[in-house]
Amino acid sequence: MSDIIRRDPRAEWIARNRLHPLHAAMQPAQTRWMGPNGVLRKNVHGIGFIGPNGVKRIDRSGAQQGGAIKRSVSVDVQLPLHRIATPAFYIAVVPDMVGGRLSSHDRDLLGLAHGLAGNEGAVLAVIFGEHKETAFDTAGVDRLLILEGSAFSGYSPEQRVQGLRAVDNQFDPHHWLLPDSRNGGGELGRRFAASLGERPSTRVWQVAGEQCVGRAGAGTADLSRPVSRLILAQAECAEPVSETRHEALPVELSTAVARSLPRIEDLGAVAVDPALIPMSEAEFIFSGGNGVKDWPLFHRTAVALGATEGASRVAVDDGFMGRDRQVGASGTWVTARVYVAVGISGAIQHLQGIGACDKVVAINLDPTCDMIKRADLSVIGESAAILEALIEAVDTYRNGAKRDAA
Amino acid sequence: MLNTLLPILLFAALGLALIGVLRRVSLWRNGRAAKVDLLGGLLAMPKRYMVDLHHVVARDKYIANTHVATAGGAVASIILAILVHGFGLHNRVLGYALLLMSAVMFVGAIFMYLRRRHPPSRLSKGPWMRLPKSLLAFSGSFFVVTLPVAGVLPANFGGWLLAIILGIGLLWGVCELFLGMTWGGPMKHAFAGALHLAWHRRPERFGGGRSTGLKPLDLTDRTAPLGVEKPKDFTWNQLLGFDACVQCGKCEAACPAFAAGQPLNPKKLIQDMVVGLAGGTDANFAGSPYPSLDGMGKPIGEHGGNPHQPIVNGLVDADTLWSCTTCRACVEECPMMIEHVDAIVDMRRHLTLEKGATPNKGAEVLENLIATDNPGGFAPGGRMNWAADLNLEVMSHKKTVDVLFWVGDGAFDMRNQRTLRAFVKVLKAARVDFAVLGLEERDSGDVARRLGDEATFQMLARRNIQTLAQYDFKRIVTCDPHSFHVLKNEYGAFEGHYVVQHHSTYLAELIADGALNVGQHKGTSVTYHDPCYLGRYNGEYQAPRDVLRALGIEVKEMVRSGFRSRCCGGGGGAPITDIPGKQRIPDMRMDDIRETGAELVAVGCPQCTAMLEGVVEPRPMIKDIAELVADALFEETAPAKPAAARREPAEAH
Amino acid sequence: MDKSALHVISLVSVGAHPTSGRPRRAEQDARAVELGLQLAGDNLHVLHAGDAEEPALRGYLGMGVDELHVLAQPPGADALPGLADYIRESGVQLVLTGSQAETGEGSGMLPYLLAEKLGWPLVVGMAEVESMSNGTAQVLQALPRGQRRRLKVRLPFLATVDNSAPKPRQSAYGPAQRGLLDVEEIDVVIDEVFAGAELTPAKPRPKRLKVIKAKSGADRMKAATAKASGGGGQVLKGVTAQEGAAAILKLLVEEGVVR
Repeated sequence: MSDIIRRDPRAEWIARNRLHPLHAAMQPAQTRWMGPNGVLRKNVHGIGFIGPNGVKRIDRSGAQQGGAIKRSVSVDVQLPLHRIATPAFYIAVVPDMVGGRLSSHDRDLLGLAHGLAGNEGAVLAVIFGEHKETAFDTAGVDRLLILEGSAFSGYSPEQRVQGLRAVDNQFDPHHWLLPDSRNGGGELGRRFAASLGERPSTRVWQVAGEQCVGRAGAGTADLSRPVSRLILAQAECAEPVSETRHEALPVELSTAVARSLPRIEDLGAVAVDPALIPMSEAEFIFSGGNGVKDWPLFHRTAVALGATEGASRVAVDDGFMGRDRQVGASGTWVTARVYVAVGISGAIQHLQGIGACDKVVAINLDPTCDMIKRADLSVIGESAAILEALIEAVDTYRNGAKRDAA
Repeated sequence: MLNTLLPILLFAALGLALIGVLRRVSLWRNGRAAKVDLLGGLLAMPKRYMVDLHHVVARDKYIANTHVATAGGAVASIILAILVHGFGLHNRVLGYALLLMSAVMFVGAIFMYLRRRHPPSRLSKGPWMRLPKSLLAFSGSFFVVTLPVAGVLPANFGGWLLAIILGIGLLWGVCELFLGMTWGGPMKHAFAGALHLAWHRRPERFGGGRSTGLKPLDLTDRTAPLGVEKPKDFTWNQLLGFDACVQCGKCEAACPAFAAGQPLNPKKLIQDMVVGLAGGTDANFAGSPYPSLDGMGKPIGEHGGNPHQPIVNGLVDADTLWSCTTCRACVEECPMMIEHVDAIVDMRRHLTLEKGATPNKGAEVLENLIATDNPGGFAPGGRMNWAADLNLEVMSHKKTVDVLFWVGDGAFDMRNQRTLRAFVKVLKAARVDFAVLGLEERDSGDVARRLGDEATFQMLARRNIQTLAQYDFKRIVTCDPHSFHVLKNEYGAFEGHYVVQHHSTYLAELIADGALNVGQHKGTSVTYHDPCYLGRYNGEYQAPRDVLRALGIEVKEMVRSGFRSRCCGGGGGAPITDIPGKQRIPDMRMDDIRETGAELVAVGCPQCTAMLEGVVEPRPMIKDIAELVADALFEETAPAKPAAARREPAEAH
Repeated sequence: MDKSALHVISLVSVGAHPTSGRPRRAEQDARAVELGLQLAGDNLHVLHAGDAEEPALRGYLGMGVDELHVLAQPPGADALPGLADYIRESGVQLVLTGSQAETGEGSGMLPYLLAEKLGWPLVVGMAEVESMSNGTAQVLQALPRGQRRRLKVRLPFLATVDNSAPKPRQSAYGPAQRGLLDVEEIDVVIDEVFAGAELTPAKPRPKRLKVIKAKSGADRMKAATAKASGGGGQVLKGVTAQEGAAAILKLLVEEGVVR
């Protein structure tokens, strides 16, 4: 609710009218009272309010009625509970659970599922192994099925398909919804579809009525078709649930999941040297340009930050970095989430190349350069000193984290 | 004594030389067939030698005069010596003639020797240091030996000692001149050079002509090799051309890639081709090696080959071939008129068409050209976006027009769009009846061809020619010298013959005709950078300067301007293949520009603009000629307003 | 790894250039061929189901493959049965495909269905084969953001490659023209479902707007007029290097890239 202070003429009238049944409730909070030892106590903080111009006002007219209290109540408003006592049918969702939490993609999918379930059906979320999510209720999960067991841990797509088949047998959902993502959903969904012999709707970005629209080919065409039982949907396929609270009732499988002989064995993640990650894929790029004078320091900083190195054209031309490290229209178009530009003034070609970056940090001497205009955070100063300080700060941060862990 | 030995010596040497000729000819004949006018070429050769070749050599007066004396003296001396000493025609007149000629040759050889005392680095050393001495020995010995014939001295003058000394001198001189000529000594240049001039692969170049368009590959002939893999894949007259090299190193001195420390030295490349045609290693090469990144130069003696072995990675490394910007500075400077660029593109063709080994971004660019008709891979439908608000006439509506404005791929480049818009403004101000091809235009194929992808070039060329054939226009005008060159000189082989002009030429014409009302350029001093594809490729040096003069600009010429202009580094796909060097070519060119003290450099090429603007600031401003003209244009909106103002009072009455 | 002992099939399709839509060799399929060439050299078998007349197929031959096998089919036919039969009879250890076709539906289902039909394990997004021995292969699977996972899989198996696989070599004109197309006619199974579907040019997806769940008009007004987040960054001027570094580190930690 609004934080703007508004007059409430009716409340003011009640506060003045001693005969009104709500008169007492509308009195300002008590500011003075007799203490247990007979000393008069005053609460000097409770008096008055901050006026529209930021000045504290004390109003003795009786118009002030503890507005602050009223406002604070409205903040944690309880969303209405959407209860499906006996589901007429199920809409099953298998979220990616990246890092054990629902991703925004998962939430979009749950929103889509909620739409498909309507007031009769229940949204059944199927989750493998442990999770850290606490907000299944507000995300729109009516029933929560957690498939536990060591067989589902790690990369176990074939076993997970078995799990989903067991769920399919027991709940027979109207629709299966999986995120069409590279985080596992796209793969699991297709494996499951092949196993069921169902033809899925893939790369779906819109479900409207009985039709769903998905991207086709290399993303230059749309394919519109009747909604199929299995839907692999893209991010932002629907609005996430935001107006209702759901039960997230745990349910269980009545039968054990068949064990399949693993034909693919997960030998674990491979430590990837950030320097070897292709630039176009790297998540965190630390890029140097003409303003970098101390290249060994630059490389040390990149190692300290654990970032993939990039460079502007000038730095590459001058031979400080390899051509494969060039960022920009004539080099690589990068998709990093965080891009740190050191001593790069931001030629238009370079800015084009970092167009897809989420957060850009600039370290530069010239506060007027174009890179600063693009950056979310800019530090004006000599790059060498800032990089030294950055290495130090990262070390302290990491050591601090280690101490905390110990 | 000498009188008996000398004829034997001369005829034996002549005989051996003749065998050498046969061997050399058989080496050249390893090459593929070429269409050459054998007899006509031979007949035209003396004129080509005396006039065309001399024009090139005469750029350096010292060496020109020296060469006239030495070479003229040598040819005359040899003929006279064979007559006098070989056939024993001890005629006094002939004797004096031989004395005179050998003296002339001697003097020439002395100057040659003086030049060789502190030779510039471009000159090859090794046997070439010996040559002036050999010439001195030859001319000196024959002078002395001929003195008795002329009756200046008695027949038996000097006795045994002199006879022996003369004998050694004669032997040395005759060996160098006769045997060296055909068995691979420095004098080979005279023999091979003469034949090279006679059977040159571009006879159009002689007599003041110009031939710069690359020769097409016949892709329909499945048996013909796609480009040159082995020395034998060159045509025989190309091989002959390599043999003509005098190793003067003028190409090396002019080559921008060599100066930038990229691994290319045109002289070494030609010598490597000679090694390839004769077989062996490059161990005897005595000039500057290919530069390497450590500054030491690539080691000599590790590469070798023969006519039947692949050139790349045996004789020459691939990055040598990809360093070339095809600026033709080497060809322009070569006194032997050797065609370096043709050879390089021939070898590139093999790498691209057969090996699929176009380095760095090359493969991507070629793929884009095939799939989108432009090297950047932009959606073809966006080709006219730059002119969205200009209301340009399109050929498909207009059909008939005076001037077809060929936009080029600069249409996709935001910097070049400024130039294009400026040029359109000028055209409109001059009320030119013009139109563009719009979405029907495709890349001219320049980049594809220089990168060796003849197939893609021919595909683009054929389609463009097909498009152009539908319309009626008097001439094509373009702001891009590369498109200009290709349209003008290379589409002819595919039956596309057009009148093509670079925009500077057309602007000069408009200004001369008074069609353009231009004011004066304000402020800043200006220099002009000659684009290779406009200047050296097409000989247009004057028109851009005329345009600038019309704007009241006094061009501060660079030391290297006109036909000696240094490349910006943007030609031949060099920015795409991107071979690393010690420095960048545009940086060197910018230094040339800075030397003039000019604050603005006028250019006439989108590549030059892009390359020069890539130089880190602060640097002089870069503006296309079209932009300069557009800036100085008198606005023609002025007369429209008074007319409107006059109408108002009339209404009030 | 012994190249001669390994038999690999790379499945290829006809792609479409992303901006012009013209036929070309498909990017991921070309990577499958590249990986196949690196693994098996001359023993690589390149297989296509579809129109043998398509000139873009020669793009694969240009990579140095002598022969391309085509199971001739009209457009719209289901490639699955023919491919499965062919692969089952070929006796190969590894089949490589791209992840998704560049034309048609592009559902990316083919490798899954093929693996299901053949009963072979499927590795999704294979980046590299590290070793092969005793009927198993150790491979690296590509994960988002350049991460890798090591998997052990038994032979024979099917693997899809995506853009993390080695970059395909250039397709050269000469070999492309000389290469042979070995065309085999197979029974046509028409894909009924796809035949009924309708392909339209992709509609640009609207950027999701921030949903404003305001209860009052003032809130809605405030949300509507508020400056879009991210517009105009914070500029730290005249701070010490340490303060600057701390600010940068704070952002990096918040974004989760420094751990």
